[in-house]
Amino acid sequence: MAIRLFNPLTMDEPRKLGITLVMPSLIIVFGFLLLPFLYSLVLSLMNYDLARPKGNGFIGLGNYIHLTQDKYFLNSVVVTLVFSFASVILEIILGVAIALVMNQDFKGRGILRALIIIPWALPSIVNASMWSWIFNANYGALNALLSQLGILHAYRPWIADPTWAMVLLILTNVWKETPFTVIMVLAALQGIPTHLREAAVMDGAGAVRRFIHVVLPMIAQIVMICGLLQVVWSLLHTFELVYVITRGGPFNSTDIIPMRIYWQTFKGLRFGYGAAMAYLAAIALLIPAVFYIRSAYKTTVE
Amino acid sequence: MKHRFLLSVVFLLACASLFAQESITVIFPKHEADLSGAFASRVKEFEASSKIKVNLIQMGWDDVNNKLTAEMASGGSAYDVVEFDNGNVAAWLGAGWVEPLDSYMPKGYTNGMIPGLVDLFTGADGKLYGIVWNNDTRFFFYNAGMLKKAGIANPPRTWDELVSQSKTLMSKGIAKFGMAGFWKAEWALANDFHFYAYTYGGKIVDKQGNILFNTDPNTLAAAQEMVKMLKEGVVDPASLTYDQEAVNNIFLKGDVAFLSQGIPGIMAYAQDPARSKVIGQVKVGLVPGGKAGMSAALTLPEAYAIPKGSTNKANAWKFIEFMTSRETNKKLAQQIGILPIWSGQYTDSDLVKLYPYWADFSRQMATAKGLAVLTWYNNFVDVCIPETQKMLSGKLTPKDALNEMAGLLKDYAGKP
Repeated sequence: MAIRLFNPLTMDEPRKLGITLVMPSLIIVFGFLLLPFLYSLVLSLMNYDLARPKGNGFIGLGNYIHLTQDKYFLNSVVVTLVFSFASVILEIILGVAIALVMNQDFKGRGILRALIIIPWALPSIVNASMWSWIFNANYGALNALLSQLGILHAYRPWIADPTWAMVLLILTNVWKETPFTVIMVLAALQGIPTHLREAAVMDGAGAVRRFIHVVLPMIAQIVMICGLLQVVWSLLHTFELVYVITRGGPFNSTDIIPMRIYWQTFKGLRFGYGAAMAYLAAIALLIPAVFYIRSAYKTTVE
Repeated sequence: MKHRFLLSVVFLLACASLFAQESITVIFPKHEADLSGAFASRVKEFEASSKIKVNLIQMGWDDVNNKLTAEMASGGSAYDVVEFDNGNVAAWLGAGWVEPLDSYMPKGYTNGMIPGLVDLFTGADGKLYGIVWNNDTRFFFYNAGMLKKAGIANPPRTWDELVSQSKTLMSKGIAKFGMAGFWKAEWALANDFHFYAYTYGGKIVDKQGNILFNTDPNTLAAAQEMVKMLKEGVVDPASLTYDQEAVNNIFLKGDVAFLSQGIPGIMAYAQDPARSKVIGQVKVGLVPGGKAGMSAALTLPEAYAIPKGSTNKANAWKFIEFMTSRETNKKLAQQIGILPIWSGQYTDSDLVKLYPYWADFSRQMATAKGLAVLTWYNNFVDVCIPETQKMLSGKLTPKDALNEMAGLLKDYAGKP
């Protein structure tokens, strides 16, 4: 059946044209995505150590087994989970709250809507460098502000403390990613028919009850999509942030999985081990990705 | 008609010769003292004298290192001359990424070079794989003005003296702290770990790659000193967030009195009003030791090497020979104060007149040591950074931190 479908001799003209048009995309997808994806899978099953090539070869699941005993990798998993979930929860709460405010009619709303996207539009490296200076122990704006407000009596090296380093990284990430949720939720809010709110008002529902029973069900799907996307991005988009601000320190307290992969692969030159880490991270990402696709599909159908 | 034809042929040949000009691609980091483009000027001189075009790529050390790792791992031929850092020697030779230079260089070419710089880039097979372009030895600088104000006659000879002098300076309000450390979670922290160990006569590993740092009492004493200085407030508590540049700036700002591992260019920066608030106050001293009479410096030289994949190896060598020649080395020293790789230039009258403090540099250089040469050096750094930070933050005792490091590296122990 399959042979018949793709046999150029029996294929009709529209099908030939279709395949011809799709072919460049297929070649690109295969060459730039699928091939490296498969190659890195092979690498992950090998001891591929560039600095000590003598022991290189196939080791099956050896890298994966070793990962379960790697203290630094297991620490990275915990750090990544804390970072991702704290970031996403804050981004969603703040994003919805800001969107609700911006959905109101007030002067300067248009300008504010344009301005709010700036943190998200800034390149990650610029964002990270800017916050790195703000947190600087000697010249940073954070210390200066808190001192002027009388909250601090002496400048603090914030990033030297593992808890503060994590908190500030999360806040930096929230600052960058929240605008995306704001814009998405704002779009959803504007799609809510006015008569639904009016009916709720006539039924005597207050602002909180209107939000819970009318607004929230209408934006729930989009909020979920935003949350899932943010989970994926918190793993994929945060390397620059951590690299510039903390380098994963102090003592690996902000060492997210992408930093660990980078270290093992490009500093440690253990490409097989790095590939195994990347595969585990990719598998972990599949879970929110599947939920995202299902939610997006459901939204489209509705 | 005939003339027109001949002219056309000559024109075409001229065009062809233009396109046929030989070229090489060179990549190495921008030297921190090279604010005037001195290296780029020497490259232009090479182009003019050799008729070989150079595609020069200069960027930050980390960027160069990352770019090269990917390129060399793929066996590519994009570069003909590359940066070869001392920390990469074992790994790169193990991977077979660079070409031995012995067959290209004239016999006796390295005679007169500082022997330690040649040894660091010589493989176990006795072949030479890199010629140093940046003699990056670190020196001890102190603010003589501050010491004088506090009534301190001489710079410290031991770390304990440094601690007591710092306390005097701090109690009199002359300095905020005695010193700052570059103890941020990055590569250079492992350098500082080596540095302190060496100043106590400590050992990191032996030649077979056996781990010594956790059993060597001198390394333990050095680690304890690092913790003590931070605990007693002599070292700036923000040191866990500082990189090397930040530490240099803090010293030049006059916040601290001592700079334990300063780049040679500090003396020039200290005289620059745009960078320094300590003009005329900075002097060079011997690095303090664990005991009086002990001293050590860390040298982190960077060399030029030819990748195995280069298709222009002969021209690449011509470039290396020109850029590391005595003449070029002296010009660069005169122009931007880089430390020569040729021993004789430390007594060169032109250079001594320009840099009288080189006599002190020369004394310190006799004690200089490189980083541990290991194919698993990168893994050592990966472990050294967090465990040293845990030790500095008081999460682990120095002994426990060293044992933890050794435990995490047990799979590599005994492998050079």
